[in-house]
Amino acid sequence: MVAPALELRNVVRRFGSVVAVNDVSLSVARGEFLTLLGPSGSGKTSTLRLIGGFEDLNSGAILIDGQRIDHLPAYQRDTATIFQSGALFPHKTVAENVAYGLRMRKVAPPDMERRIAEALDVVRLRGFEQRYPAQLSGGQKQRVALARSLAVRPAILLFDEPLSALDLSLRLQLRAEIKRLHDELRFTAIYVTHDQGEAMAMSSRVAVMNSGRIEQVDAPEKIFHAPASEFVYTFIGESCCLPVEVGPSGVADKSGALLPLHLGQSQPTGKSRLYVRPSRFRLAAEAAALPNRLRARVHFIEFLGDVYRYHLKAGALELAADHPGAIGVKAGEEIDVGWRNEDMSVFR
Amino acid sequence: MPEAAIRRSAEPFLFRTLAIAFTVFIVGYILVPILVTLVMSFNDAAMIRFPITVWSLRWYADFFGSAQWTDALRNSIVIAAGTAVISTSAGILCAWAFQRFPIPGRDALYVLIMLPLFMPGVVLGLGVAIAFGGLSIGGYSFYGSRAMVMLAHSLWAMPLVFMLMEATFRTVDNRIVEASYDLGGGPVRTFFEIVLPMVSTGIVSSLLFAFVISLNEFVMALFLTDRDTQTLPVLMWLSLRSAGTPRLAVASVILALTVFACLSLIMLWYIRQLRKVSQ
Repeated sequence: MVAPALELRNVVRRFGSVVAVNDVSLSVARGEFLTLLGPSGSGKTSTLRLIGGFEDLNSGAILIDGQRIDHLPAYQRDTATIFQSGALFPHKTVAENVAYGLRMRKVAPPDMERRIAEALDVVRLRGFEQRYPAQLSGGQKQRVALARSLAVRPAILLFDEPLSALDLSLRLQLRAEIKRLHDELRFTAIYVTHDQGEAMAMSSRVAVMNSGRIEQVDAPEKIFHAPASEFVYTFIGESCCLPVEVGPSGVADKSGALLPLHLGQSQPTGKSRLYVRPSRFRLAAEAAALPNRLRARVHFIEFLGDVYRYHLKAGALELAADHPGAIGVKAGEEIDVGWRNEDMSVFR
Repeated sequence: MPEAAIRRSAEPFLFRTLAIAFTVFIVGYILVPILVTLVMSFNDAAMIRFPITVWSLRWYADFFGSAQWTDALRNSIVIAAGTAVISTSAGILCAWAFQRFPIPGRDALYVLIMLPLFMPGVVLGLGVAIAFGGLSIGGYSFYGSRAMVMLAHSLWAMPLVFMLMEATFRTVDNRIVEASYDLGGGPVRTFFEIVLPMVSTGIVSSLLFAFVISLNEFVMALFLTDRDTQTLPVLMWLSLRSAGTPRLAVASVILALTVFACLSLIMLWYIRQLRKVSQ
């Protein structure tokens, strides 16, 4: 059996009394693009820095190609990081920046020239060899950083929120470029981000992190459609939370009013939270044939561009439902809202 | 016109006049001693005295023709250069250690390092003279040697370099240091190839500051030099007691010009660096 390109075994990292990385285990196959996704403080950056060798772990093990590397300093690990700020060497030209890692690996000069040219080709920066970082735009800097890391052909590429300092259009453009590069070169990558759009668009798998732990590791589609935990459900995409009470006679809202909902078999009794994504609600006539249906009063309406968002109140419940067009109801009027069983998730 | 309005228009005028007068006074106060010395150095007379009747370069020729004076100038420059190298390398390494590593008793250590800077020169000079006065290594007497003065001057220059470099290192983006490690650069290579070039302005400033401090220093040099190693300020003081010839003014001008050249170099380097990073 081939050893995974990267393996984390029960990795723990504490900062004083704070457990930044709490018993994280992870296995990444060669050529995989795995994203660590989570809010700030979830331990995703700490995990990446542990792999790169910028932090020491308190316990556990990190293996690259089956070899333990957690005792090695950063400069002896076969990883290369693309930092958020680019972290280019300001007094070196683009070519010298790219050459640095190759020189450290004692690549012969003729080979080096070729690999610098290749790396700059790949990020479409040929002709920029003699520029200094101060003469480059933000996007170009990040592409040089990418070329510098790609040139050394590391076992693992580590991305530390490389796009978060760029503006939106540049971010989307570079996101597509990194994706294209991965499709071409099939490098193994760990990508840290708090942007779920990035995570979904680029990754072969996503690991959702929360307070130092991995909540779920799965393909992006699985993460989105079959979230393993309430945290994952609420962190990914938008969601509308309906707090309910499951009793022997059925499902009730906070005030005890029974709701005509079908939670499926074997829901334990007690307090639960029921989630539906705003885009999955159906309104008015479209709701008529659906198994879960409530009569709600329109609280207010927001225009969000692609959709109108209807903020609704049904008894003690508050809902937010998206609809592509205006449906001719005004605030204060009543409307039917419904959803399919499979569009509903229940957590307790 | 209401009285308040008149006062409003008059006040800035008064204020501006005062400000200008004050500035002129300060600039004059700073420049007069230098200018007087400069003028006096071109005096042909045998004594430092006004008015100047004949202008000449006689005393410059005299200064550079005298082995005693040129030796003193050479001593000053060699000691200043040595001080610059010793205190800059020590100060940089010390500041980098402060920046990178957790050091126990850091604040106390900081004060200790800065302490010599506030010590009177007599105290340091006497201390060094007593402590190392009898020291000789392999028959080479340490007392009175240039090396000893360099080390003594470094007591003053090193804390300054340390303070300057500690502040400079704080501006270094840690991610760039990490990027070097990440690409396989070890700590030593990272320090010399990545960190030092980023703080080159600080290094050049440190070297020149240390040079100037040593060049200007008089008290410790007086305690620690002998006839062969005495520096220009020491010789000037000794000869002032015997005869106040314009040769002294020439020596002053040469010292002042050296300091001025050092400051200009710092400025030039700073401008060069600014250009490089903001093209």
